[in-house]
Amino acid sequence: MATRNRTLIFRKYRDALKSVRVPASSSSASASSAVAGTSSGGGPVIEMVSASLLHPNRSYAPLSTEDPGNSSKGAVTVGLPPAWVDVSEQIAANVQRARTKMAELAKAHAKALMPSFGDGKEDQRNIEALTHEITNLLKKSEKRLQQLSAAGRSEDSNVRKNVQRSLATDLQNLSMELRKKQSTYLKRLRQQKEEGQDGVDIEMNLNGNRSKAEDDDLDDMVFNEHQMAKLKRSEAFTVEREREIQQVVESVNELAQIMKDLSVLVIDQGTIVDRIDYNIQNVATTVEEGLKQLQKAERTQKQGGMVMCATVLVIMCFVMLALLILKEILF
Amino acid sequence: MVLVSAVRDYVNRMLQDISGMKVLILDSQTVSIVSVVYSQSELLQKEVFLVELIDSISKSKESMSHLKAVYFLRPTSENIQHMRRQLSNPRFGEYHLFFSNMLKDTQIHLLADSDEQEVVQQLQEFYADFIAVDPYHFTLNMPSNHHYMLPAVVDPSSLQHFCDRAVDGIGALFLALKRRPIIRYSRTSDIAKRIAQETAKLMYQQESGLFDFRRMEMSPLLLIVDRRDDPVTPLLNQWTYQAMVHELIGIQDNKVDLRSISNLPKDQQEVVLSSEQDAFFQANMYENFGDIGMNIKRMVDDFQQVAKSNQNIQTIEDMAKFVDNYPEYRKMHGNVSKHVTLVTEMSKIVEERKLMLVSETEQELACNGGQVAAFEAVTNLLNNESISDVDRLRLVMLYALRYEKESPVQLMQLFNKLASRSAKYKPGLVQFLLKQAGVDKRTSDLYGNRDLLNIARNMARGLKGVENVYTQHQPLLFQTMESITKGRLRDVDYPCVGNHFQQGRPQEVVVFIVGGTTYEESRFVALQNASNSGIRFILGGSAVLNSKRFLKDLEEAQRIARTSSSVV
Repeated sequence: MATRNRTLIFRKYRDALKSVRVPASSSSASASSAVAGTSSGGGPVIEMVSASLLHPNRSYAPLSTEDPGNSSKGAVTVGLPPAWVDVSEQIAANVQRARTKMAELAKAHAKALMPSFGDGKEDQRNIEALTHEITNLLKKSEKRLQQLSAAGRSEDSNVRKNVQRSLATDLQNLSMELRKKQSTYLKRLRQQKEEGQDGVDIEMNLNGNRSKAEDDDLDDMVFNEHQMAKLKRSEAFTVEREREIQQVVESVNELAQIMKDLSVLVIDQGTIVDRIDYNIQNVATTVEEGLKQLQKAERTQKQGGMVMCATVLVIMCFVMLALLILKEILF
Repeated sequence: MVLVSAVRDYVNRMLQDISGMKVLILDSQTVSIVSVVYSQSELLQKEVFLVELIDSISKSKESMSHLKAVYFLRPTSENIQHMRRQLSNPRFGEYHLFFSNMLKDTQIHLLADSDEQEVVQQLQEFYADFIAVDPYHFTLNMPSNHHYMLPAVVDPSSLQHFCDRAVDGIGALFLALKRRPIIRYSRTSDIAKRIAQETAKLMYQQESGLFDFRRMEMSPLLLIVDRRDDPVTPLLNQWTYQAMVHELIGIQDNKVDLRSISNLPKDQQEVVLSSEQDAFFQANMYENFGDIGMNIKRMVDDFQQVAKSNQNIQTIEDMAKFVDNYPEYRKMHGNVSKHVTLVTEMSKIVEERKLMLVSETEQELACNGGQVAAFEAVTNLLNNESISDVDRLRLVMLYALRYEKESPVQLMQLFNKLASRSAKYKPGLVQFLLKQAGVDKRTSDLYGNRDLLNIARNMARGLKGVENVYTQHQPLLFQTMESITKGRLRDVDYPCVGNHFQQGRPQEVVVFIVGGTTYEESRFVALQNASNSGIRFILGGSAVLNSKRFLKDLEEAQRIARTSSSVV
């Protein structure tokens, strides 16, 4: 696909026109640019002063700190963003951390599922810790996400809403991934548990067979003890596994809750809400509607029954007071 | 995928090199261009957190210097004025300007003059100046489409505007495809000739450097034809899914507006019909109504199965699986409701307007001979009370287009009956249509009854019989495509511009229909492309027509022609 870059020509024209323009306002420009130069390290206050010298028409906007003075030197700076951007950046950082932890968790799952000689308690604890951490990160992020909700219908609130949607989509994808990993791990755990039981059964059968080949009494008692010990061990094993499964199920449910909350914010792909032109139109109409609602609210408040009641009561109070005074005076 | 992916690539390139939070500013035309190929969620992924129209952004005074502004506009004078005002009072930190077509030097001058703050980081031309509704179908969505029907003396500036927009759109298309074509046009159409010549001037003289691409062995072909060579296709009722939805309800930029239908839940009042995003639609957009019904029933059955299994949650595992699959389930639910709503609504309209009956006669008028039988059928339908006015008008128009010269008395009878029955009929509209697109004005053999070969072919088709009476019509475009495929496009009918000439068969063909395309024609193009004949066809027009739009254009043109002639 062909494109054509006109930036060079544009810059050429811009410089040429600037040199034509600058001599007209050279004195004031050089004075204020000197001020701007010396105060470039200073606080926003000084910069705003120089701004008003250069651009007397620009209104002072206390919330944003722009850098107009230096821009004429060709170095453009992007101004400081509003406070809520910090929140969104924190959430994004959390999401990133959660992603790295998920990679670790995948490795830990794989390691735990491999047959090992130890009893694998170390691995279990590691998995539990990681899962807890990730779930906490997701929960924290989701709570902070609610902070980004904005009221009002300004452009800034649109930006906030969109940032919120984008982060919600990321969070939802992460939680779905976590759930999938957990459910596969759960499934494999269960499989292993059954295999473990089968293994014990096979062992028992083997011993049972051998018992027939040996002498009876003494050997029976010995084998019974042997079998009992094995049974106890396998019982402990299954209890352990049961506990793990329970924990995994718990975290699955927690994640389900998070997902439910997030699904309100996330855009359904392929629907009308996902269309750019629909969103632009909606902004325009909701602004108008918002205005209408406000006006309506104002009107109903003015006509409000409450207001009337209150005024009537107050008048009645005064009337009664007057009557009382009259009564006192007359009698 | 060709057209859609071309525009998507442009948008991707616009956004990819700019880091940080961005705001995308479009004008009313580029909004459509971007919306059909890019979704809001994809924009969010690219950190574009605000999308605005350039007129509304001028009104706000909020300063948002932490955002970088990406402008994608058409290079019109209004947009340049808006830009100048915004550059002199910049609200954003950085400005990246992209224009969808070629800028004039004066325009760049004006922009440079206003950029005192030097906030503009780049100024580029990205040639996405057409709306890619389907992979091989584009439109220019021109609002005053009717100007092509009027001679140049009536309103020269509007006609010039029309031609400029067409030339811009076609030029942008070929720049996006990186090709320079050989241009042929329809002999009898003045406006096709004018657009062809202006396009040739643009590509070979004015911007020959820009269009100088590496030559393939076979140059592609640009064929510019006039809607009036085939006025029958937009008047017919349609029975394949996409064409039918547009005919009965209306599709605009791949969106269907169902707000006029009562009792719909809020999320179904406007729906998206895009073959890129909807797999069911992609599989069924060219199927006829009967098959669609069956496929939708199958889809609903599948969905009910899934829904039932979702209600049957007994173990924790089931619950977990349900929550996992919930997004999928919700999407499927939305999709099923959408298609069921559309098909229900269309069935209702078919029932109300007795379209099966009307369409049978329409297809007979368009495809088969027999003047006497046709006259009788049309008369019967005109007398039928339950046929709507617009359907009556269409029937008379179709009859008039075919039997213009045979039995003028009966034709007059039909005109009179139509005028007496339809209160809102603007008198003389059918005659106006005949003046525009009558048998003397058309280039090719629309009904296949001019030369012996075509008559024989028609007879053979009649003997073979058709599988579906309602979809037997083949638009003129189909025959044109066949001729091109065989390398037998007649020079007499479609001369070349300048001294180029076509050797053999081209491998890529772009057909531009001045006055608008229809979804029936885009269906034939898509099916032709799928048949792997070695040639890739792309179809485009100044608008996408249905019968309502075509009739509106006719009425507008007639009104202007009347007022201008009364002035003269």
